Amino acid sequence: MKSLSLTLFIIFAVNISSETVLLKGGLVHTANGESARTQDILISDQIIVGVGTNLIIDGNTRVIELNGLPVTPGLISPMSNLGIVEINALDVTRDDESDLLSAGFSIFHAFNPHSTGIPWNRSNGVTSAMSTPSASSFPIFGLGSHFILDGSLEIKGSKDIAMFGRLGASYGSRAETLSMLESLLDIGKMVKTMSIQEILEMNLADQLELQSQDIIALGKVANDRMPLVLETNRAVDILQALSMKKKYGLNLVLVSVEEAPMVLDQIKESNTPVIIDPMDNIPNSFDELGSSLDLGKILDQAEIPIMFSTQRSHNYHLMRQGAGNAVAYGMSYETAIKGMSNTVAQTFRLNNRGSIEVGKLADIVVWDGDPLEPSSFPKMVMIEGQLQDLSSRSSRLTERYTNTENKPSSYKH
Amino acid sequence: MKNKVLIPILLFSIIGCSEGFNIDLTFGDSKSESDSVNLGIDNAFASTYLPMDSEPILFKSANIYDGLGGEFRNYDLLLSEGKIIEIGESISAPGVLVVDATDKWITPGIIDIHSHMGVYSAPEVTTSSDGNEATAPVTAEVWAEHSLWTQDPQFALALKGGVTSFHVLPGSANLFGGRGATFKNISQNTIQAMKFPGAPHSLKMACGENPKRVYGNRRQSPSTRMGNMAGYRSAWIDAVEYADGMNESDEDRRPTRDLAMDTLMGVLNGEILIQNHCYRAEEMAMMVELSKEFDYKITTFHHAVEAYKIADLLADEGICAAMWADWWGFKHEAYDMVQANVAIIDQARNGTGCAIVHSDDAVGIQHLNQEAAKAMAAGNRAGYEISKAHAMRWITSNPAKAAGILDQTGSIEVGKDADIVLWSGDPFSVYSRAEKVLIDGAFVFDINDPKIQPITDFDLGIIQPQTNRVQ
Repeated sequence: MKSLSLTLFIIFAVNISSETVLLKGGLVHTANGESARTQDILISDQIIVGVGTNLIIDGNTRVIELNGLPVTPGLISPMSNLGIVEINALDVTRDDESDLLSAGFSIFHAFNPHSTGIPWNRSNGVTSAMSTPSASSFPIFGLGSHFILDGSLEIKGSKDIAMFGRLGASYGSRAETLSMLESLLDIGKMVKTMSIQEILEMNLADQLELQSQDIIALGKVANDRMPLVLETNRAVDILQALSMKKKYGLNLVLVSVEEAPMVLDQIKESNTPVIIDPMDNIPNSFDELGSSLDLGKILDQAEIPIMFSTQRSHNYHLMRQGAGNAVAYGMSYETAIKGMSNTVAQTFRLNNRGSIEVGKLADIVVWDGDPLEPSSFPKMVMIEGQLQDLSSRSSRLTERYTNTENKPSSYKH
Repeated sequence: MKNKVLIPILLFSIIGCSEGFNIDLTFGDSKSESDSVNLGIDNAFASTYLPMDSEPILFKSANIYDGLGGEFRNYDLLLSEGKIIEIGESISAPGVLVVDATDKWITPGIIDIHSHMGVYSAPEVTTSSDGNEATAPVTAEVWAEHSLWTQDPQFALALKGGVTSFHVLPGSANLFGGRGATFKNISQNTIQAMKFPGAPHSLKMACGENPKRVYGNRRQSPSTRMGNMAGYRSAWIDAVEYADGMNESDEDRRPTRDLAMDTLMGVLNGEILIQNHCYRAEEMAMMVELSKEFDYKITTFHHAVEAYKIADLLADEGICAAMWADWWGFKHEAYDMVQANVAIIDQARNGTGCAIVHSDDAVGIQHLNQEAAKAMAAGNRAGYEISKAHAMRWITSNPAKAAGILDQTGSIEVGKDADIVLWSGDPFSVYSRAEKVLIDGAFVFDINDPKIQPITDFDLGIIQPQTNRVQ
């Protein structure tokens, strides 16, 4: 009964815009750290204008009864290849690597809003994502951008808002990687006092094969607090990254951090947010010997801001399963919900989204069950106040192959 | 300096696992003595597994999924001498160890039909990368078990996820990758001591992109899917001739023994089970046709992302499909993912299909219950009515059947091996954890007792000398 009324609403409402909508009686996880409770959400013209229990509405407000279904902010992937990689093993479908640029490599203009991964992740509750370049042999891979996953050709997002890289076992000695990272940051500092052209003419820039785009981007990291997102695992590497943060005044984010429990105090003191895969407990390398399912709990108890990556490509919505496992192993439920939305928004300075609070853009998901259970699924996804169609290529294939009509499947549509 | 390289992990997963490399498996202890020649290999590398010591155990007031579709609320379960003795509403067994299982769940031990633990061990370093003999498209002569590293820390992690048996396959670089073998999940110092007693070998075959990419890149055959097919057929022609020769009554007329041909002959004789990495629907259908051309049986298609497109064919042929819940997009033949795949296979031909949720992954193997939960939920959203009791088959009795060990394990039935998991709650919930795991009636994992938690040699003192890698 509940699901029926919701389904009908979606069918009629997909194309309705800029009206006032009341999501009534949902179990609302605001993602600002407080526990969920049953309340209403009033949305007008893309924006959340009310959250509470006795909101005043007028006769034109469309009311959607949620009957206690869980509601969360739209999920935000902190690290994805959405829109820039269609099929990993097909180079011609990949736009996540550059031969020419390093620190300044921007994937923004490669973003394909029609990539099949977008409706799939959207139908699974991911409403926006950071898309990033992929790892390269250079310590810095390039710049990530934030994209709204509404599939529109009018691409909405924030261009080049964080730089991504890695410190640890890769190609050659980490001593060299560290020294390169410091050289790159030194160059970034020079942007304050020298012209790009002057820097380009330096030996150091030449040795590091830097282009002007690289230098401009490094300047933003070194001087303007653009987040620098570094994947690192070994305890002593984490300390190196933290000392670099201090030395250069970086806005640092750490990724993976499987040995973080050994240097917990230092991470906490430095106020550094982390992106973890809570399900990865495999000691995949000699950098990750401390890998454990307890990581999420330990970081949470130290009140370190936590976000979630996923081990495999394409299914960024599986951060829910990761978060659920983190809770099963001791992370607080509220931290897990926040880590899928608000913590990402705060870390990447996406100031107008990430939580269900008055004034935020209405990126909202209504779930058919506990959002941290892998068997739950969205019943409704809203991006900036617009209800989204939940179909995907996968759902179309499912419809086709559960259709029992006796004719070739190519005629089942 | 700036050469961009594929992330090693991705490369590994593509070549090592998901891209499917083949295995070659020969040998089986079920070989009929009457109709084929005894090559003297039937007992080569045989299992020396011995159960750990156990005492009779009575679980009281448990909720039970029996792995065959049955659900029992508030039942008792009695184990003794490594076997399941009795399942009943109120069992009394004076003097035995009693475990209160009120509000908890018991399931059969989880079984993974597709693992590379021990052959792609952790850490993932070249010196332990022993899963693909990618030196020729037909390597039916190699046995995965001969690569197994008994100290792989991944075994113990899988055990914490309730996995009591697993089938280790070679990778999928080759048309015929070699033999796979099944293991009880107890780390021992020899491979044979881990081998599941009496379990048949399998032969890993691989379709599609992997073999043609690996060998095509070397400018050798196969470089196309038609090259793949020609490679399989040529090998089977040789195998039929070899098997005929080995059946000659005159010993002098028999061919010289050939390890690869032994394996293929084992398949033709029905002693070795085919585990076939294959993603695309039309390729699976071609492999079925190939099996008819040479009169052998395919047991399972692995990865089978497009199995749902030929669900009726697989049900009609009695072939299982082993699938992920939702992994896709990493290569073109994994593009048409539907989350209802497992359910569609299960429900084919009035529910006679054989669906398996597999991992092919050291993280996934720890959460097969969650993967089954996703597949079940997707199936129910697609309109099926699949119960949790039924879905439990996908990670217990069905993989046991596909590994040829259903007579011994994979369900909670009187007389079977006491391979049991006690879950803290609903086994399909993300919040539930395996509290106790038993193999052959012996406690091999207990969440509350560090003495019943395996620590491999690898884990011992590797970060701090006085402690272990994982506690």
